[in-house]
Amino acid sequence: MNIIVTVKQVADPNIPPAHIQLDPDGKRIISPFGVPPVINGYDANALEEAIRLKEKHGGKITAVCLGDDSSRESLKYAVAMGADTAILINDPDLVNGDSATVGRALAAAIKKIGGCDLVLCGRQASDTDGGQVLHWIAEALDLPTVVPVTKIEAVEGQQLTVHRLIEDGYQRIKVELPALLGVSSEINEARHPSVRGTMAAGRAMIAGWKAADIGLAAQTPKVELRELQIQVRTTKAELIPGSTGAAQGAALADKLHELGLI
Amino acid sequence: MAGVLVFGDTVGGALAPASLEMAVAGAALAQALNEPLTGALIGDDLAAVAAEFNGGFATLHLIEGKHLRPYTARSAIAAAKAAIDAAAPSVVLFPHTLETREWVPRLAAMLDTGLVMDCTALNAEGSDLVVSKPVYGGGVTAQYVVRGNIRLVTVRTGVFEARAGAATGAVNKIAAVEPAAGRVTLIDEAKAAAASGVRLKDAKVIVSGGRGLGGPANWHYIEETAAAIGGAVGCSRPVADSGWVSSAHQVGLSGTSVKPDLYIAVGISGAVQHLAGISNSSTVVAINLDGDADMFTRANYGVVGDYKDVLPGFIERAKQLRG
Ligand SMILES: Cc1cc2nc3c(=O)[nH]c(=O)nc-3n(C[C@H](O)[C@H](O)[C@H](O)COP(=O)(O)OP(=O)(O)OC[C@H]3O[C@@H](n4cnc5c(N)ncnc54)[C@H](O)[C@@H]3O)c2cc1C
Ligand SMILES: Cc1cc2nc3c(=O)[nH]c(=O)nc-3n(C[C@H](O)[C@H](O)[C@H](O)COP(=O)(O)OP(=O)(O)OC[C@H]3O[C@@H](n4cnc5c(N)ncnc54)[C@H](O)[C@@H]3O)c2cc1C
Repeated sequence: MNIIVTVKQVADPNIPPAHIQLDPDGKRIISPFGVPPVINGYDANALEEAIRLKEKHGGKITAVCLGDDSSRESLKYAVAMGADTAILINDPDLVNGDSATVGRALAAAIKKIGGCDLVLCGRQASDTDGGQVLHWIAEALDLPTVVPVTKIEAVEGQQLTVHRLIEDGYQRIKVELPALLGVSSEINEARHPSVRGTMAAGRAMIAGWKAADIGLAAQTPKVELRELQIQVRTTKAELIPGSTGAAQGAALADKLHELGLI
Repeated sequence: MAGVLVFGDTVGGALAPASLEMAVAGAALAQALNEPLTGALIGDDLAAVAAEFNGGFATLHLIEGKHLRPYTARSAIAAAKAAIDAAAPSVVLFPHTLETREWVPRLAAMLDTGLVMDCTALNAEGSDLVVSKPVYGGGVTAQYVVRGNIRLVTVRTGVFEARAGAATGAVNKIAAVEPAAGRVTLIDEAKAAAASGVRLKDAKVIVSGGRGLGGPANWHYIEETAAAIGGAVGCSRPVADSGWVSSAHQVGLSGTSVKPDLYIAVGISGAVQHLAGISNSSTVVAINLDGDADMFTRANYGVVGDYKDVLPGFIERAKQLRG
């Protein structure tokens, strides 16, 4: 099974809110010193799932990323985890594009690669939280989609049975290949790269493609980012005292009762 | 193309509370744009629901068909297109749910138009549509201008105050045409029985547990606390990912957005992605071993301590008080 995994490099989502900083024009989050950007968490889950599928059914995994040159680090990480090849679309005209532009560029790259049986994406990028890119890819390639996927239950020939998260459980869905799935974190726990993988990643050649290489025409933006603003939170909790934990618990109950909340 | 079209939503055959929130958001926008307001509902049996969806709509479009429940993206998209064709709007609003998150972006791509999802503010600047949404898990707000003939927006639930508006002017029933079988087929649905029966989204009191609980064997502390004060059970993402409880209980950015009167977070550190789901809670309580945990920056009341000591004392006293 030939699988393409889309990989976005993002600012580490664990940066505490108080340490988030913006660049001077207020359009980008800058990672605090010493906290390098990471591969989007859901994309790591997508890659893990691809590796498990390859282990069972054979095939090839290609990781594709659109981003500036620093994103090579995340692609190397993808190779270290187990991707066979990695491709970076690093055209400066595309890296600040909207979801439609990014999706169509990734779709054009997938076409150039020669298509695949399965595209695995994350359900959402943890920095921009857009949740759209995968659908623009699917529309451009005319692929059926299921999002958010929490399990691939079975692979039978050209058909997958997957679980899709719903509010109070899940749907079991059959989807014909080629298809695109948006993966959620319930699906697996992504592995850490092995030493051998990391060594392979060090030697990996990562192609850099521009819009012209993938035959992408200029795009008019449909969504324009005006500015980002940091949300400041100033609440300081009133701490409930007590000589023991149990006394604190009882005092908390008293407080909440007094407020009419319990 | 003119007008604001507002999609409502149904849950178990009733009008979802978020529907009237969308109507309120849509009415303000329609007024600012000086364009008419229309509504739409998609479902299998809409007569009763339609009567409740009083959002001050000039026209309410009802797209009905047995195949529209249970939900599939393909049928929802076809039905929504029928409503959009009938209403010819310049802006369309949808409640942000697990369903719309899947099918509205595909609709945007099909219509080749601009969409921003999970918005918390909508404004008109002249004829421009300017929207805001939390990004970076909720630590940052982004402001966008949405372009296109039909601008699409999904709106976070629990942000706008639901209010019934004037009765609907006219009802336009459209029989939904079932799309040809596609490459995605629903086999069945497996529903987890909600532990307390209360839907997390609508619960007034929620007790949520995090990784700090230490393991599934300790989860009974959360269930007993919730039971003692008549609350629903919530959890953070690692708890759902590790399978201690089903994902239906997950609160936060990638789970449910809740708006209870009281939210008690036990052993939850307070990551932005968790806080994103509780921003509309009235009173938040944090119980955490670590006094520096970010949860205390959102909480109104805090207990620094081990939940294993704190919760038994809390439960005992709460039971006495509630007698
Ligand atoms: C300076 C600046 C300006 C920007 N201006 C705009 C703007 O005007 N309008 C706008 O809409 N956005 C803008 N963005 C946001 C940026 O373009 C988004 O990162 C991009 O659109 C991703 O969208 P998303 O959040 O919808 O991703 P999602 O759809 O949430 O991502 C889902 C999945 O798609 C895949 N994916 C997404 N992006 C990539 C990628 N780059 N490479 C590989 N895979 C990917 C991943 O698998 C990911 O898990 C701006 C960003 C910057 C830094
Ligand atoms: C794109 C994305 C989406 C996400 N969506 C969500 C989401 O929807 N919901 C969500 O919750 N998270 C979400 N996350 C994950 C989020 O970033 C955090 O990793 C997660 O919320 C942490 O869960 P936690 O607080 O339970 O665990 P931890 O961060 O490990 O915190 C455990 C806490 O328990 C405390 N503790 C330990 N022992 C005790 C004790 N005995 N008594 C009292 N306290 C104790 C510790 O001091 C600590 O503060 C998302 C992340 C990303 C990147």
